[in-house]
Amino acid sequence: MSVDLADFLPAYLTEVEELLSAANAQLLALETAARQRSASPRTVRELFRALHTIKGLSAMVDVEPIVSIAHWMETALRHADQAGGRLPEASVEPMMEGLRAIEQRVRQLATGAHVSEAPRELLERLEALEGTGRGHPGQQGTSAMLQLEPALATKLSASDQEQLLAGIASGRRALRMDYVPSAERAAQGLTINTVRERVGHLAEIVKVVPMAGATPGGGNLTFALLLLTGAEDSVLLEAVGGPPATVQSIVEPSLPETTPISDLLAEPLAPNEEGAVVEPRRSNVLRVEVTRLDDALERLAALVVSRSKLARAVKELTDAGVQTRELVQVLHENARQLRDLRASILHLRMVRVRDVLDRLPLLIRGLRRSTGKLVRLELDVGEAELDKAVADRLLPAIVHLVRNAVDHALESPQERRAAGKPEEGVVRLACHARSSARLELTVSDDGRGVDAAAAAARAGVPVPASSTELLELLCRPGLSTRVSASATSGRGMGMDIVKRITVDQLGGELSLDTKPGQGTTFSLGVPLTITIVDAFVFECAALRYAVAVSAVEEIIEVDAASLVRPPSLANGGVALVERRGQAVPLVPLERLLQRESGREGPGPKAFVVRQRGTPVAFAVDKLLGQQEIVLRTLEDPLVQVPGVAGATDLGDGQPTLVLDLPSLGAARGGASRMEYVPQKGGVA
Amino acid sequence: MSTLHVVFKVAGAEYAIPASEVMQMESFTSATPVPGAPTHVAGLMQVRGRVVPVVDARARFGLPPVDRTLDSRVVVGQLGSRTVGLLVDSAREVMKLAPEQLQPPPPMVAEQAQGFVKAVAQVGPRLVMLIDFSRVIGEEKAHGG
Repeated sequence: MSVDLADFLPAYLTEVEELLSAANAQLLALETAARQRSASPRTVRELFRALHTIKGLSAMVDVEPIVSIAHWMETALRHADQAGGRLPEASVEPMMEGLRAIEQRVRQLATGAHVSEAPRELLERLEALEGTGRGHPGQQGTSAMLQLEPALATKLSASDQEQLLAGIASGRRALRMDYVPSAERAAQGLTINTVRERVGHLAEIVKVVPMAGATPGGGNLTFALLLLTGAEDSVLLEAVGGPPATVQSIVEPSLPETTPISDLLAEPLAPNEEGAVVEPRRSNVLRVEVTRLDDALERLAALVVSRSKLARAVKELTDAGVQTRELVQVLHENARQLRDLRASILHLRMVRVRDVLDRLPLLIRGLRRSTGKLVRLELDVGEAELDKAVADRLLPAIVHLVRNAVDHALESPQERRAAGKPEEGVVRLACHARSSARLELTVSDDGRGVDAAAAAARAGVPVPASSTELLELLCRPGLSTRVSASATSGRGMGMDIVKRITVDQLGGELSLDTKPGQGTTFSLGVPLTITIVDAFVFECAALRYAVAVSAVEEIIEVDAASLVRPPSLANGGVALVERRGQAVPLVPLERLLQRESGREGPGPKAFVVRQRGTPVAFAVDKLLGQQEIVLRTLEDPLVQVPGVAGATDLGDGQPTLVLDLPSLGAARGGASRMEYVPQKGGVA
Repeated sequence: MSTLHVVFKVAGAEYAIPASEVMQMESFTSATPVPGAPTHVAGLMQVRGRVVPVVDARARFGLPPVDRTLDSRVVVGQLGSRTVGLLVDSAREVMKLAPEQLQPPPPMVAEQAQGFVKAVAQVGPRLVMLIDFSRVIGEEKAHGG
């Protein structure tokens, strides 16, 4: 691939991936329609359009295998369109495989691997799909009307040529525009991508063909854009920056361009028939690579760090008795602006949960086939949005839960009938924003419920008394709820992965609600964003730490005199503190941090957090304030420890640990774990 | 062909590591302790905006701890995608070592050094031990959890 084409690759991958996910959804819709024997001409055309664009883009980056697969799928859809928008059910599977084969090759392209040839057998099957159709309308005489140099003509498929002819038939002009990329052009912001975009507003781009060979500017690559348009040549030329770009007609001079030649086409072409489908996309959506957003975030992070340095400097001045009232005011204003900027940038990174989950219908379809169970997916996700970074991490957990639901929780149609349930099971995904900083997502099924006794027997432990304990049991590494591992869920890929993602990676919460015979609901509470955190900064045993505000339920004063100490515990152990009529265990934090406090008893302040649903207080020495911090996760295995969410720079150049108190308590609580279990019963 | 090595000292003994594996040298002020990390991890340090773990060579080699001095250095090494620091007593010298200068460590030494020493080089009257950086840093996951 030449350098110019490599530049185009990222944009190609983004666009094709989007088209593929749309195509997947459309094909699923067609399958449903086929089963119900109903017609859906619109979906057929949309899918045709998607494949057509994939084909065109792939031709541009010169990936012949994808072009071939897309071509034959397109042909099958053309026949479906001619049949009034009906795709035969038998065609769905080969088409699915076609999409899969395209996806596979796109991935190869993305990873720089060699793109495998289109599978012969698949092409033949796709090709056979058109057998029921009526051959190639308008193919005869094609070469008589389009005037194309041989090098270009060979790159055009029959359907491209048909599309051009149909365009001419509908009274538009068929043109070839040559665009020559150059460094100079690129400096003006003109690349093949912007050219496509601009020309796309003025004309329908039938195909873009890269052509090697010497160019006027001394380059060796020309893009030939084949267009259908009503726009003037001069307007088109202007859009691509004028010469050396050229525009010429590709219609044989003997035929007047405006003569309708519709009689040469037995059948009008589907996608061109409906204005709405053909109209070039003119949305206000801008595609941005995530790395660029990360770059902006990184800069914002630097700004946050220097602001906290500034705040410290001002504080020192103030402490030294300098008049800093105005400075402090500016600092406050600056803080507000930073928050706003942060919100805007984070908003850029937000993706709709619905878009994240758009592959689930496909997953369900696959599971339906592999398990033979009847299952319906219900999505109730509204317009909720999630940071891309969170969404990317969360998706595998969701996929896992959905798989588990179909594989393990849902019964076979016979079992369900016997239990008086509808034969078709339901897997339901819902989400709503729980607060401005958290999103709650639930995965529910109406299956048999988790068999706590069986799970306990398999793990060789007593039957869990609560759903919290049951969840913990299920999340033990390697525990499978079935003796024989099924093909899809595998063995050892248990709930521990879901927990690791939700709780350990994202700092979220996981809970379980299950009723025998009625179904199971898993709830995942995750932060909307994980990069910048509003945190409390505090001191414990002479070191500073931070903890996310969102994790803290309350900060309480610890009155040493009113502490209740269970007699069995040594000094420094867990005590009980009263909080609104409820006894809450109080853990000296330095003990969990393996540090010496040098003082008697717990520190005077305590953070109350929820650990496995139960409040626990962690005593610290001093609260230093609340501020926004940039959370850096610790990547190295040496320092990936439970309870440490990451590190941050408070402005002194030293990493400050950002603690995850609930998991720190759970992981390092040791004996304290037993102390607060009885609390559950005591909660009024 | 001889290659450049960074030479550092731990408890009087001299060690070397290929300069190509060294990202930079830092003086050592303090590291943020990480509860639950392996005992040979001194803590976290910020190097060029990155937060990296620092391994204490003395703790790793089973030597008694000493107070850090102005000579203490952190040799920041790059191992694939990992960046890890190694806290040493001092590091002041860079030398070229030729392959023929390198001898496999005597079996007794190899055994005693837990595989940390890859080779021994005779440099004039001095003996310099070439360390296996990846072994010293260790793949061990933090315990706990």
